[in-house]
Amino acid sequence: MHRTIASLPLAPSVKIKLTSAGFDTCADLKDLRPLQLCKEAGISQEEALEVLQTLRSDDGAGVASHAGGAGAVSGGLTALQLLQKEHALGDIITFCSALDSALGGGVPVGKTTEVCGAPGVGKTQLCLQLAVDVQIPVCFGGRGGRALYVDTEGSFLVQRAADMAHAAVEHCRVVTQDAEQQAALKDFTVENILSRLSLVRCHDYVELLARCYLLPDFLTKHPEVQLVVIDSIAFPFRHDFEDFSQRTRLLNGLAQQLIQLATEHNVAVVLTNQMTTKVWNGQSKLIPALGESWGHAATQRLILHWEGTQRLASIYKSPSQMEATIPYRITEDGFRDLAPPPFPTAQPTSSGPAHSVQQRKRPRMEPLPS
Amino acid sequence: MNWEELDLNPRIIAAVKRANVKSAKEILSLSGPDLQRLTKLSKADVHHLHTAVAQAYCKRPPVTALQLLRGECPSLEPGHRLSFGCAVLDALLRGGIPLCGITELAGESGAGKTQFGLQLCLSVQYPVEHGGLGSGAVFICTEDSFPIKRLRQLIAQQPHLREDLPKALVRSIRFSDNIYIEHTADLKALQTCISQRIPVLLSRGLVRLVVVDSVAGLFRNEFQADETIERTRHLLTFSSALHRLSHTYHTPVLCINQVTDVVDGPNPGRCDFGLVESRVLPALGLAWANQVMVRLMLRRLGGCVTAGEQSCIPRRLEVVFAPHLPRDTCLCGVWLEGVRGVPLGEDTHGEPPPPQQQLLPDGQVRTTHRPAAGAEGAGDT
Repeated sequence: MHRTIASLPLAPSVKIKLTSAGFDTCADLKDLRPLQLCKEAGISQEEALEVLQTLRSDDGAGVASHAGGAGAVSGGLTALQLLQKEHALGDIITFCSALDSALGGGVPVGKTTEVCGAPGVGKTQLCLQLAVDVQIPVCFGGRGGRALYVDTEGSFLVQRAADMAHAAVEHCRVVTQDAEQQAALKDFTVENILSRLSLVRCHDYVELLARCYLLPDFLTKHPEVQLVVIDSIAFPFRHDFEDFSQRTRLLNGLAQQLIQLATEHNVAVVLTNQMTTKVWNGQSKLIPALGESWGHAATQRLILHWEGTQRLASIYKSPSQMEATIPYRITEDGFRDLAPPPFPTAQPTSSGPAHSVQQRKRPRMEPLPS
Repeated sequence: MNWEELDLNPRIIAAVKRANVKSAKEILSLSGPDLQRLTKLSKADVHHLHTAVAQAYCKRPPVTALQLLRGECPSLEPGHRLSFGCAVLDALLRGGIPLCGITELAGESGAGKTQFGLQLCLSVQYPVEHGGLGSGAVFICTEDSFPIKRLRQLIAQQPHLREDLPKALVRSIRFSDNIYIEHTADLKALQTCISQRIPVLLSRGLVRLVVVDSVAGLFRNEFQADETIERTRHLLTFSSALHRLSHTYHTPVLCINQVTDVVDGPNPGRCDFGLVESRVLPALGLAWANQVMVRLMLRRLGGCVTAGEQSCIPRRLEVVFAPHLPRDTCLCGVWLEGVRGVPLGEDTHGEPPPPQQQLLPDGQVRTTHRPAAGAEGAGDT
């Protein structure tokens, strides 16, 4: 507020005219309209506008609210406003309550999450589960949104999505308590769930890049979409690439586009990555593919891995959550907790489906003894 | 790329032509600022350019999963699978092997993997309503020669295997005419086969199944232990070619793989896929595993299993991973007429009497008439 005119990032001629007109600090210019400034300082209207915009962007939130709507650039938000915005955006539950609590509610909307794992550990299953869970009505604790699934490997099999949708509907039917939930349940059927899950298949990396350029328009036209899944982002980028620097460049560009997409359109972006072996000091270990620089691409990183026969999900990188390892399993109903929590009692619970899971109907098939 | 077709201001098109940009791939691979520098267009213009090129490149709009389920998009979801010809095996795989994507069958030598491949080569030739695809198969042998005697045996026994089908139908198909056999002794021959000969067969509709027996053979032999990067590169080229063919022509690809022994305990640098009690793991490591959509493992068990008058060593077919299948196993046996699953509840004997059915090195199956301990004398087969 007490910054001198001379320190502002303006053209020197403009600064000279302002100071000779008698303006010394930004406080002097605060309440002026562009036309007034133009007359007082003898500068052109565009220059006056530019001066006032520089002033407002410099001062941030306080002045933005002060200056009203006339030509103000979007000033910064305070941390409190950001926190409120984040809470309003919410999370998409995974149906594994332990993982949801470790993630702070679920996969966050408005951020990018990367899921890495070896083949068969459950990355596609988690993505399908999220694509169904985002559609759970709000009164059941879901988001009531739609999903877009970008499939690069060809591993999206609609049979499996239908199974998971069926299980989610059954689960909601069991926990239905009041009239509002019953009304929402009428709309929450397997057909409706599948009709709100859009699929796009990309056969190579160029098609994937093209799709990502078309995503902003798609999301503007379909504002109900709250989840974009790319399964997997590693597959098209891991072969046919002799020039690794080009690959890194393309991946960085893609990462930036996706983060922008997530924040501007309030969607959760979930990416799937593969694992590769790295030999380090004579020992080999599994690390996520696509290189070191890709590690910085996503906001949050989940690594799914095996330990013996148990599947584990580790929160590897998160700005807001603690590192944690959670066991999970894949049943015919989808991505679930390790052991189902006890059956809910007669008292109504206020929390959403993740805390009142019904027993599974059929036991998991055990392998035959040899 | 024909720039005139794009829905763009002619000024932008002219700038693109001046910058000597030839293809959509180049445009999409360049970032906004790079394109601005190259074409001297403004940021908004470059944004329009990207969007227009992307729209021209991606012709298909998104489809909903409901449309896929109803079969309205057969190019994305064919809606049926390739059956094995056996109800038990099909039940394990929920219909059979998927039409798009690579299915891998790994197992020790003598487990019966080639038998599965041969059986699929026959079952693909039946019409679609009977679980086939109404077309032929191409069988790529990389190691041993093709087991032609066993194929003839299987063809002769088809009416016994497919008892659910009308005999006239089974007899009317000339099975051996529709199986194309390729022998590829080295990597170069394999690459020529995959890139040139197989696309021709596929585009003419002559084949709708590709069997590679085996994948591991060439890749393990041609590369030394320290040439892993080179091997991985070739493996990825090979698998991406197969993947592309599979998706373009909706052709199932069955890759038969060998196994490696697990000598040390659990190793954090190696993925076990949750198979803790297994002494063997599929070969070719994680690089190959990432390309495979459905992984099956075949194991020989002890004991013996009988069905009717035949008995053989049981095998266990296990689904290691698949996007649509649970971890499940089924018992099966290699009989005279082919591979057939053994439903639960069939006779399985604990003690190992001498085997009745022998799988010879050339793939042929020979029955010996030694009766099992305590059983009635076995009749002639």
